[in-house]
Amino acid sequence: MSETTFMGVERNLIDWKPTIDYTKCDYCMECVKFCPHRVFEVRENEEIKLIIKNPDNCVVFCRACSKTCGPDALSFPDKNATTQRIKEIRKEMEGHG
Amino acid sequence: MVENYAILPCNGLDKCAGVISGELAIKLSENGDNKIICPVFYRVSETKYNKLAAERPLFVIDGCQTRCASKLAAEKNLKVARRIIVADEAKNHHIELNDGLRITDQEQAFVGTLFEKLNKADEKPTLSSEDAGISCDFEYETFQSGKFIFRIPKNAEVFFNENDCWAWVNGNRARIGVTDYVQQNLSDILYFYPPEIGDDIDQFGELGSIESSKAVFELVSPFRGKVVAINEKLVTNPELINENPYEKGWVAELELTDQEGDKELLIGFERYFEITQKKVEETNVR
Repeated sequence: MSETTFMGVERNLIDWKPTIDYTKCDYCMECVKFCPHRVFEVRENEEIKLIIKNPDNCVVFCRACSKTCGPDALSFPDKNATTQRIKEIRKEMEGHG
Repeated sequence: MVENYAILPCNGLDKCAGVISGELAIKLSENGDNKIICPVFYRVSETKYNKLAAERPLFVIDGCQTRCASKLAAEKNLKVARRIIVADEAKNHHIELNDGLRITDQEQAFVGTLFEKLNKADEKPTLSSEDAGISCDFEYETFQSGKFIFRIPKNAEVFFNENDCWAWVNGNRARIGVTDYVQQNLSDILYFYPPEIGDDIDQFGELGSIESSKAVFELVSPFRGKVVAINEKLVTNPELINENPYEKGWVAELELTDQEGDKELLIGFERYFEITQKKVEETNVR
């Protein structure tokens, strides 16, 4: 399981997870085999066979699953925007002492 | 000049990037003393290409992230001297490859761009570990989990991010690498993809990547800055990262742009030691 905080910020306040482009995904499931944090879930008997089940398990700034994806179907938020957001949250936290 | 390689392209017909890998291999063989290994033929008959692969350093050209050519090289126990992934290169050059298999003018021009880039890279003088700027004298605290030993530097000059990368800061410059946690998790590291000298890297931006048979790890830069040195030895000997990711296995050096601002989001030895111990307990490094 992943840490519950990242850089001192509650993990569920940070929007960092893969997004699946279903027009590209061919359900090879290489990402599922790779990710040790169980971010993905396979749904064999459904039309959409792969979903993001546990987004908060995804390690912030890790994009390794996308590097296993032949069809290039996985994308992530912008790192700079995420860093800025983390800084803002930390400031807000300081403000609340 | 790219010379004297045995070139193994994926030559795939699943998508355009595979076709480009074949085109690039042909161009390299026509414009230099390079010999192509046909991946299809090699899979069914080793005799023809084993000698070639033994005599020359191997240059693998993968089309996409499925990395079929790299996997073939691994199956045949070949050591890869150099590798590119066409799809990654296309992204870096902001080129959207077409959906079909036929190469259009755009893709043909891209093959030319890649060819030029590869030749240029060979002409460029690069900095090696000997002439890089920072000398580091690490002192470690260690802990053990099963048969795995984790070393964590405790020098005050060293900063960590929570993505398991370290930075030794000296003046306005930092040497950067991965921690023992990464190399133990990946086990035998087979490839090192360096960043380019002169690249401007954001804090938490990608500073190259390393790859084992288990996974690809993107280095998350602790600092923002310009790449001023890379550890060239890792290109041919990525296993140095497994031997010691802090000393001979360092990755790159940056000239820092906002050292104090960046440090606010980094942690020191004590906190990183705690985090690593916790991660090791939870993930059961295997």
